[in-house]
Amino acid sequence: MNDPNARAIVTVPEIAVIDEIKDEIEDVRTFYFSFENQEAGRNFRIKSGQFVMCTVFGAGEFAVSLPFSPENDRLHLSVRQVGKVTRALHELRPGDKIGIRGPFGNGFPFEEIKGRNIIYAAGGIGIIPLRSSIVHVLRHRKDFGRIILLYGARSSKDLMYRYMIDEWQKIPGFETHIGIDRAEPGWTGEVGFVHTLIAKASVPAKDTTAFVCGPPVMFNSVIQELLGVGLKEDAIVSTLERHMKCGIGKCQHCAIGRTLVCTDGPVYTYRQIKTLGEQI
Amino acid sequence: MYILPKKESLRMIAALAEDYDLYGPVLQDVSGEPLFDRAMDPADVRLDAAITYNPPKGVLFPQSERILSYRYDRESRKASIRRDDLVRPKALVGLRSCDLNGLLCLDRFFLGQEYVDDVYLDHRKKMFIVANTCVRPFPQCFCVCTDSGPSAREGFDVNLTEAGDDYLFEAGSDKGEALAKRLGLKEAGPDASARKGRIVDASIARFDAEATENKAWISRVVNRITTGFIGNEVWEYVGDQCFECGACAFVCPTCSCFNIEDVASGEGGADRMRSWDSCSFEGYTRMAGDHNPRKPVEDRRNKRFFCKLSYTQSKKYLRPGCVGCGRCARVCPGDIGLPNVVTYIRRETTKAGTR
Repeated sequence: MNDPNARAIVTVPEIAVIDEIKDEIEDVRTFYFSFENQEAGRNFRIKSGQFVMCTVFGAGEFAVSLPFSPENDRLHLSVRQVGKVTRALHELRPGDKIGIRGPFGNGFPFEEIKGRNIIYAAGGIGIIPLRSSIVHVLRHRKDFGRIILLYGARSSKDLMYRYMIDEWQKIPGFETHIGIDRAEPGWTGEVGFVHTLIAKASVPAKDTTAFVCGPPVMFNSVIQELLGVGLKEDAIVSTLERHMKCGIGKCQHCAIGRTLVCTDGPVYTYRQIKTLGEQI
Repeated sequence: MYILPKKESLRMIAALAEDYDLYGPVLQDVSGEPLFDRAMDPADVRLDAAITYNPPKGVLFPQSERILSYRYDRESRKASIRRDDLVRPKALVGLRSCDLNGLLCLDRFFLGQEYVDDVYLDHRKKMFIVANTCVRPFPQCFCVCTDSGPSAREGFDVNLTEAGDDYLFEAGSDKGEALAKRLGLKEAGPDASARKGRIVDASIARFDAEATENKAWISRVVNRITTGFIGNEVWEYVGDQCFECGACAFVCPTCSCFNIEDVASGEGGADRMRSWDSCSFEGYTRMAGDHNPRKPVEDRRNKRFFCKLSYTQSKKYLRPGCVGCGRCARVCPGDIGLPNVVTYIRRETTKAGTR
């Protein structure tokens, strides 16, 4: 980087077009997109676990995790409408334009966990950021030991990506345990919170890395259970979310403990989370 | 080192005004208060003014500014984004040492981390800095406690030190040397450094008697703040005193938190505005859906002092985040400027020691 002017301008989004919109669960939609500038599209390389800043023109910008795999996957965002900007995103239709800045953040470990058993424990829409890693790991499943998905939601209507999970379940050697909080007529899966699925899956303690993402209550109970099984604190990995404005470590809104979620995270081990000294 | 006769200082400022937009201490029309602001006339820059009410950070990091604008037409689905060119040659004249150190903190933070902040970089390009040694302290000052004064050691193109009817003119860069040549200044002679040293020593000696508003032995609390071994009652007290007005952050030379908002400009267009923010505001960490991980005010106050005085933050600034200007103590309606908080923490430490 000899010419300082050649440095990428990190505050300006790339324009992208929404190609397709898919309704997922209530208030959650998936937006498939591609970059208007093809070169920008080719240069857009991600690690699973990273995030982007997404501009909805006229409304603002928000931070959102990336659900797609780093390899050979369609670009998309799965977003719940929860505030002003995400509501404006949900108003958009195929053909509409959005802005994308990024990717930012450290991302999930991948090379470091080869050869290990992998547990994914997700609650509700917490499966969105984990999807990227799940698809990536499944594509390289010979490099890993057991691969287990423990996924729970309030009810069967709140289970994200069910069509995808149905496909994944056909993959030999991929163990899935899907649960809902309360029994429903016609439900054949598990009933109970996510942490109760850990015992049902007989999660191995040795050489196991767990990825955990979900609401704080679920997060805490799952962590306790995993520690109880015998997982090490640094073998439990999660991704945090915070109010973010810049994504590049400058606005400081996402400061947690001595770290910034945008540049030091969003992926943290439980050992790190414990030392942050703040609420999750 | 060179000699700049005081009566010729205007000639220096006017020379800079030919090539740069001029900023410096100017006296406010009504109140006569010194503000660090744009000077339209070189004669408005007052090198003899007291420490300015506001730090110079607004020149590089304006309180509110447009960082880009866009237009989106939903009919044609055409989107365009335009980035503003913010590069303007600026001369900052009469910077006090604390403020220059604050500016260097901002440089290291905005330009020296994983990402370079291109908006700040644009402001920082083509800048000329004239620092001004404080030959006597002001009542609010404690730069000797924070190792950031009374005379700047780095980061200037020119540093002036008042010496009788002259300024000792110290060039800190090639640009500074060129200015001395252009003005035809005469060399100050071999004893100039020693003379400056005596002036600075005399200034330091006056702190005890004259800089009486604030003392902050920050080195005593840095370790405690970094490790978090501070009783919750200290933060609760500080939180109770906090009005959540954000004034401390706005007058701080090193506070740089910002907010970003898209403001409609009509016809499908919007301006992306970046503006100062403060970690004391409750909405600062509130997420969409109203989850706020850092709700109580003492949590938020704790954060500000961590940012100023922890080793962790010092690694980003390459020095403590407090430069001893004393402005937060002057503006705080709750009397919890940084020096006072340092005192509370030290008192607590002392009490714990005698228990």
